Amino acid sequence: MQRTRRIAILICLLLLPSVALRLFTAVYPFFNTIWLSFHDWNPAFPPQQFVGLKNFQALTRDIAVTGSISFTVLFVTISTLLEIVLGMAIALILHRAFFGRGVVRAINLIPWAIPMVVAAIGFRWMYDTQYGVINDLLYRTIEVKVPWLVDFWGARAAVIATNVWKSTPFVGLVLLAALQGVPQDLYEAGRVDGTNRVSAFFYITLPLIMPQIVTIGLFMVVWQLAAFDLVFAMTGGGPGFATQVLAYRIYQVAFTALNFGYASAISMVLFIVVGIASIIGLLLFRKVEVSL
Amino acid sequence: MKPVLAKWEEMTGHKVTLESGPVSGNEMITKYAPAFQSGVSPVDVMSDADDSGPSFYRAGWMEPLDEVIPQETWDDFPESFKQQIEVWHSFNGKRYRVPHEFAIGYTFYRKDWFDERKIEPPKTWDEVIAIGKEFTNPPVFGTMEALIKPALAFVYMAYLTAQSGGNVFEFDDATAQAFQFAYDLIHTHKIMPETTLSMDYTQQNEEYMKDHVAFMRQWPFFWDVARGNKNWYQEGRAEITLPPAGPAGAKSWWGGWGFSVPKFAPNKAEALDLIAFITNNENAPILAKGQSWFVMPRKSIMAVMGNEGLAVYMQRYAEANVPSPRPFHPKVAEAQSVVDDVASLYLTKQISLAEAMKQGKERIAALG
Repeated sequence: MQRTRRIAILICLLLLPSVALRLFTAVYPFFNTIWLSFHDWNPAFPPQQFVGLKNFQALTRDIAVTGSISFTVLFVTISTLLEIVLGMAIALILHRAFFGRGVVRAINLIPWAIPMVVAAIGFRWMYDTQYGVINDLLYRTIEVKVPWLVDFWGARAAVIATNVWKSTPFVGLVLLAALQGVPQDLYEAGRVDGTNRVSAFFYITLPLIMPQIVTIGLFMVVWQLAAFDLVFAMTGGGPGFATQVLAYRIYQVAFTALNFGYASAISMVLFIVVGIASIIGLLLFRKVEVSL
Repeated sequence: MKPVLAKWEEMTGHKVTLESGPVSGNEMITKYAPAFQSGVSPVDVMSDADDSGPSFYRAGWMEPLDEVIPQETWDDFPESFKQQIEVWHSFNGKRYRVPHEFAIGYTFYRKDWFDERKIEPPKTWDEVIAIGKEFTNPPVFGTMEALIKPALAFVYMAYLTAQSGGNVFEFDDATAQAFQFAYDLIHTHKIMPETTLSMDYTQQNEEYMKDHVAFMRQWPFFWDVARGNKNWYQEGRAEITLPPAGPAGAKSWWGGWGFSVPKFAPNKAEALDLIAFITNNENAPILAKGQSWFVMPRKSIMAVMGNEGLAVYMQRYAEANVPSPRPFHPKVAEAQSVVDDVASLYLTKQISLAEAMKQGKERIAALG
């Protein structure tokens, strides 16, 4: 009995540092953000005042926030879908045996290894209408120049494409690991039963790696909902609010305007969006697990 | 700064370490506000911008300088500075920042091209259009202005609104006139490329130094940037002329950076001594001679270098009554962001001019 108690105390002591760290860095900021969202708090305009739901009412009328929500949803949905489809294609290619596969696998990871801000600034120059390499190629091939970062939809497409270019290798790597876990004898059994490559993919590969697809999909959704650096360095959220994401709006309100109360209210909106996405993802994950 | 700092180090025995800082007011707030909010400061003396300084003093994070900076230093500034110092460098009657920079939008132009065509740089908005058309032949454009968010669209809209006689934060008729003029430069007359809407100053300067621009508004730093580009620069390629006159005249708003001391400076006493030393009437001209960023119309500086470099144009602008006060709003960062957003929406054809003015007024009113 005494030994059990000692073990319990030891477990608590061992857990204490990490629990304390999480309480201090996650739980406290979370509850403090909720508390601040009901206050008018700008250190340059003291005092701090309780304002009830005023910040939440204000954000329903704030076109910068409503515009951010719409692009955030679009950005995350399209990016994640493209990353999974293209990542799957990359994983399938890299899973096959061919000369120089190790080198190609390493090259595939280069975009992921480049810091997002560097990639964003590089792409901003590449998308430039006058001297950007993308328009230069377009002009040489079909004699068209697109004002990518000035046009509403052009800018959105450019930001999403850059994000997909940057993140797809990582998704591909995870899916490659998943593919490597599929037993080869299932394919051999399938071949005996007369399956071709396409049907083997849809009836053997895809169902078996679906838990990993859902997991990486959920991970990418949550990760990209908090994306900030790409938009910050590439478009500043423009033109207008065309490419403004919620995380960037929160940064603007909190760290350039010092309006911590209102920024906290917007953060709560982001929290709700992340929460909904997470619940959908977990339900999907359970459904996939059950069907397997 | 090094010669002045070396003198102070020798006098006091303290060592000064220089650290590069943010290049915009927004970045100043992002970098320093979390530290100040926590009651600490990573620096003893800082160079602070107009769009961050007021928030810092209002929050009580800066040390008042009235008792540290001698009156003769304040008296060294021209009369035209007084109001700007009261508005942008002070709060509740106390001064928190000593200006060290005179940032005004100068009109740089290709004197060699104008001389070749035997024409003068544009003196009015109408001439901007007419002369701009004469030079425009893509990739060469009459004029160019970096307008990417954040902040740069505000800079240009405030500049044009100063020329049209309005206050950009009021979204009045003169502001509408300025917005319309910017729109016409890009979309109607096409003498400014649409791509400027996604450009920053580095790209704008690169375009100018690639011989793609006949004239443009730019901050004083371009004087050194152009002259520092040894492979490109020749006399006549980046000369300065007066800005074109809009309905309210040839105007350009001015502001600038200044030295201040955070309340939480680790070595506050030494910091206050240092700030008084580097801004005094003896050392201000030494700093100005070292770098154009420190050139300003202080009497001590003009006495030493009034006939050389950028100072010549500074005086010319002052004599022509070009400097216009920077538009002020107590919530300056947020107000500037409203102008940025609305200008970006309008100039990229997402909303009409009437909608832009309506949205601007409503969002400024919502700031309180």
